[in-house]
Amino acid sequence: MLQDYYIPKSIADTLALLKDNNGRARIIAGGTDLVLDHQAEKITADAFIDISNIDELKKIECSDGYISIGAAVTHNQVARSQLIQEHAIALAQAARAVGSLQIRNIATVVGNVVNAQPAADTAVALVALGAEAEINSFSEVEYVPVEDMYAGLGKSTVDSTSQLVTRIRFAVPERNQGTAFVRLCQRKALALPMLCVAAMVSLKDDKFEWVRLVMAPVGPKPIRAAKAEEMLKGSPVTDEVIEKAAQLALENANPRSSLVRGSREYRMGVLPVLIKRALVAAVAQAK
Amino acid sequence: MSADKIDFDIVGKSVRRRDAFEKVTGEAVFSTDVKLPGMLYAKVLRSPYPHAKIKKIDISKAEQLPGVKAVAYYGNTPRIKFNTSATMTFTVPHLEPVLDQYVFDDIVRYVGDEVAAVAAVSEEIAQQALKLIEVEYEELPAVYDPLEAMKEEAPHIHTGCKEGKNIPGDIVKIDMGDVEQGFAESDLVIEEMFKVPVQKQVQMETQAAVAQVSREGDITVWSTTQTPHPTRMILSRAFGVPHSKIRVLNPPYVGGGFGVRIGCSAKAEPIAVALAMLAKRPVKVVYTREEDFIASDTRHGGYVWAKLGVKKDGTFHALDLKGVLNAGAYCSFSCETPGVLGAMTLSVYRIPHQKYFGHSVYTNTTPAGAMRGFGNPQGIFALESVVDMVAEKLNIDPLELRLKNIMQVGDPWCLPYPCGATGMAECIEKGAKSIGWDRRGKLNKPGATKVRGIGVAIGSHVSNSWPFCVDYDNAYVTIQQDGSVQVACGVPDIGTGTTTTLPQLAAEELGVRFDMVNMTFGDTASTPFDIGSHASRTLYAAGTAVVAAAKDAKQQVLEYAADLLDVSAEKLDMKDSEVFVAQGSDEKRISLKEIAYHAHLRNKQFIGVGRIVPPNSPTWEAHFAEVEVDLQTGQVKVIKLVGAHDVGKAINPAICEGQIEGGLAMGLGYALSEEIRYNDKGKQQNKSISTYFLPTAEDMPEVEAILVESNDPSGPFGAKGVGETGLVPTAPAIANAVYNATGIRFTEIPLTEERVFFALRNNKKS
Repeated sequence: MLQDYYIPKSIADTLALLKDNNGRARIIAGGTDLVLDHQAEKITADAFIDISNIDELKKIECSDGYISIGAAVTHNQVARSQLIQEHAIALAQAARAVGSLQIRNIATVVGNVVNAQPAADTAVALVALGAEAEINSFSEVEYVPVEDMYAGLGKSTVDSTSQLVTRIRFAVPERNQGTAFVRLCQRKALALPMLCVAAMVSLKDDKFEWVRLVMAPVGPKPIRAAKAEEMLKGSPVTDEVIEKAAQLALENANPRSSLVRGSREYRMGVLPVLIKRALVAAVAQAK
Repeated sequence: MSADKIDFDIVGKSVRRRDAFEKVTGEAVFSTDVKLPGMLYAKVLRSPYPHAKIKKIDISKAEQLPGVKAVAYYGNTPRIKFNTSATMTFTVPHLEPVLDQYVFDDIVRYVGDEVAAVAAVSEEIAQQALKLIEVEYEELPAVYDPLEAMKEEAPHIHTGCKEGKNIPGDIVKIDMGDVEQGFAESDLVIEEMFKVPVQKQVQMETQAAVAQVSREGDITVWSTTQTPHPTRMILSRAFGVPHSKIRVLNPPYVGGGFGVRIGCSAKAEPIAVALAMLAKRPVKVVYTREEDFIASDTRHGGYVWAKLGVKKDGTFHALDLKGVLNAGAYCSFSCETPGVLGAMTLSVYRIPHQKYFGHSVYTNTTPAGAMRGFGNPQGIFALESVVDMVAEKLNIDPLELRLKNIMQVGDPWCLPYPCGATGMAECIEKGAKSIGWDRRGKLNKPGATKVRGIGVAIGSHVSNSWPFCVDYDNAYVTIQQDGSVQVACGVPDIGTGTTTTLPQLAAEELGVRFDMVNMTFGDTASTPFDIGSHASRTLYAAGTAVVAAAKDAKQQVLEYAADLLDVSAEKLDMKDSEVFVAQGSDEKRISLKEIAYHAHLRNKQFIGVGRIVPPNSPTWEAHFAEVEVDLQTGQVKVIKLVGAHDVGKAINPAICEGQIEGGLAMGLGYALSEEIRYNDKGKQQNKSISTYFLPTAEDMPEVEAILVESNDPSGPFGAKGVGETGLVPTAPAIANAVYNATGIRFTEIPLTEERVFFALRNNKKS
C-alpha cells in the first residue's frame, strides 16, 4: 500500500531516495498510466518519487549535435516545441496524437517510452529517429537505444525502483534527412492507434541512403520493417520502390486481432497504405 | 394558451441558463457530491459469468472485516420482483408491466449482474470486502444474439414468456390497409435487412444514489434519476414501503440522462436503500465508469427488416416493417421500444398500406432500455436506407422523392393523435441549401483516393410518451407575498435547461418579469406528481402543466385586482408584473407586488394549479451529411452535418440548438464508431470511454442546427419536444452520403474503417 510520496528537486536526491527505499519506491512522472495501473493493482509500490519538479529534467535542448528531451517533459511541450517541429516532425506529430489535451499536459514522453506499450506513439517515432535513453543507476550512466528498452509485452528493461531515465536524445537530423509519422485510429483524441508508422529517411542522389521504418502495434514493441529497410537502402526514390517497401513491411508485421481495435486482416490490409504515406511524407521532408 | 400570440416578452429569447455559472465553476451539487453524517460507501460484487446459478454464497468473512457495516445479497434482501425502469409505473392499461428483477437474485444473467454489495466506512474497505465474499457458481448455457435466443436449443433466460421463447411482454403489431394488396399494386418493391449496434448513453455522471432510512423507517434517496416520482413508486414496491414514507430527489442536478435512468439509476437506488436498511446508516452508491458501461441500460441492438412498395412515379404504396431487438438480460423498456420503433418509422410518409411486427428477445447481455430516440433511430436507419435505394432505382432525386411522400396535416396514420403541424418540407429545403445539395454528384475527380458524397435522411419523433406510456403532469404556480413567483414541478433538470425554460413559460403566461420567477424541481416532497424527464416531454408536457398553473394563478390575480381597480377582470391583463387595463383607455394600473401584499394582509395567497394530460405532437427533422471516404483505409470523415428541425416554437433558441447539436454528435457516433461488442465468453469489450469510441470535440465536423417553427397548436406557445430528434435520422444521412461517395450500400452500422475497408475491397473484386 502506498505510504509515501516524495517530490525531490534534483537527480541526485532522486537516486538517493531510490537507494534508501531499496526497491519499495517507484519513479512517477506524469502518472497518467502509472496511477491507473496502481489503482488496478497491476503494480505495487510503498512510495512514489515524483520527478516532475526537477528543473533539469524539464528541458528540451539541442547541444553537441543531439536533441535531448528531459524525463519531465510533457507531450504538449514536445508537440509545440519549435525545435522538434523543425527537426523531427514525426515526434511532434506522435506527441500530438497521444490522449487528450489534458493528458498531453501532464503525461511525459519518457514515461510513454518506459511504460513500454507496443504502440506508444512517441516511442515509435523515437525508434525511427534512432533515439537512445540516458539511464541512471545508483553508480553509473548508460545509453540504451529506445528499441532495446523492451523486455516483453508491456515490460520495460528499465527498473523504475532502482533506475531513473533522465533524458532521451537523438542526433539532429541532417538536411537530406526527413521524418514522418502516420496514424490510424478510431477518433482524433483519446484513442490508442489501430496502427501507427514512423519513418526516417536519408536521401543521397535521388536514392535512399538508409531508412528507419517503424510500425506498431504489430509485435510486442515498436517493430522495424527490417526487410523493407534493407530493400530501400540504395534504391531509387520512386513510386514503385515505395510500393514494394510497403508490401515487404508486411513480412515483419504480426498484428493481433482485437474486437476493440481491429482485426489482424484489416491491419495487414491497411498497413501498406500507412507505410507508403509515411515514406512519401518523409521523402518530402528530406527534399 | 397563446399559440397565436406573436410578440413575446420572454418566450423565444435565449436568456442565460440558470444553472450555467454554478456548473461552469463546479459549485453545482450532483448525487456524487452528496455527503451525510455517518455515511457509508458501497461497492458491488458483479457476476463474471454471462449466465450462472449461485450454488453457494458465504458473506461471513466480508462481514467480519473491520469497517464493514453491511453485506447485502439475495438471502437478506426483499424477494419482491420489480423492474428498475419506470415502465412498471406507467405501462398503459390492458398491457402488464414485466417484473423480472430482484435487488439480488440467485441466478446471474449477464457479465456484470449484481451478486452482492458491501457498505463500509470507506470505498477501499468496501472494495477489499468484495474479495472476501465466497461465491460458488454453476455456469449455465448463454446466448447473445436475439435471433439465436429464440431458437429451440437456446437457454431460457426468464420463465413466463407467453409470446415466444425469451420474448418479454407482448409483441407489437400495427396494421393499416392491406400490405399484400399494396405490394401487388406496386411497380417496384425493395426489401432489405439491417443490423444495428448496441450504443451507450455515456452521460457525464455515472449512476449514483445516496439512501438514508430514519428511525421511523422513512426513506430519503438522493439520486441521478430522471423521474423522481416514478422512482419513488418503484422503491415503494421493491421494499414494501408506502409512497408517503419515501422521498426521492435530485440534489438538485443530474449529470445527463439520455434515457439511462428513467426509473432507477440502474440499481443504484435499490442497492443503497437495501444497504442503508441493513446498516442503519446512510449509504452512498456511485458506479464506476466500467460499471456504468456493463451494468446499466444501453440502446437496443438488433435487426430491422424493411420492405417498401412504390408506384412508378415514386408514390409510396406499401410498407412492411419488422423489428427484433436485443433486450439483454432484463426487460427494462424492451416492450415499449419496439412499439416506438414501429410507430415512428411508419409515420414519416403517407403510405396507405402499412404493417409492423416487432418485439425484443432476452439474451445474456447488458440490459437494453431507454436511450435518446428509443427505437426510432433503429427503424429510421432501415427505412431511410431503403428510400434511398428506391430513389436510385427510379432515378428520382432523393429530395424530390421524399418531398413527394412526406406526411401532411390531416393525413391518416397509425398514431392516435393528429399531426397538428408539419414544417418538414421547409426542413428539407433549408437543410439542402445549407449542405449545398446541388453540388451532389459533382464532387469527385476520376482516380481520387478520397471521395466525397452527400446524403439526406428524414424522420419524426414524439413530444411525450403517450400512447406508449401513461403520461400526465401537475404543477403549482404560487404568487409569493412580494409578487415573486414560485413554480413547483416534479421534473428534474438533467442538463436540458428545464429550470430556465419552464420559468420562461410561467413568466410569459403570467406577464411577470423573468427574474421574479423561481422553480422547485426534482423532489417528490415539494412538487406534485410528475411522470418525469424523458420522451422529449419536459418542455412540451410539463411545460403545458406550468402554463395551465400560471393561467390559473393569473386569473386569480386579475379577479382580485378587478375589485381594487374597479374594472371588470376580463378587461385586465398583466405585463412586466403590473396589472393594467387592456381594453379601453383607462390608465389605472397596479403592481403585482402591491396586489400580492394587499391580499396577504387580508389572509389570501394566489395558488395556481395545473393538472394536465398532454396531447402529443410530432417533430420533424431532415439531416444532411457531406462525407469523405478514404478508399485506401476505409475511414469515413464527416465534413459537414446539418440538422434542420421543426421544433414548433423555440422557447429558448440557444438551448434548443444545443439539444440538436448534441443529438447530431450522438448520431454521428452511432453512424461511424459507437458499438459495444462481446467476446465469446459474454464479456463486454468496450467498457470505458477509452475503448468506446464516441466522438470527441476534435471529431466533430462543422455542424449547423436549423430551427423551423411550425407553431404546433397543441404545445406551450407552439413548442414541440426536441430532446431526442437530433439523432433520429443522422445515421442514415451519413450512410446515404457514403453510398453517394462509394456506391456501396451498408446495411449494418457503425461504418467502422474496417467494415468500409472490406466492403470496398469486395466491391472491387465483384
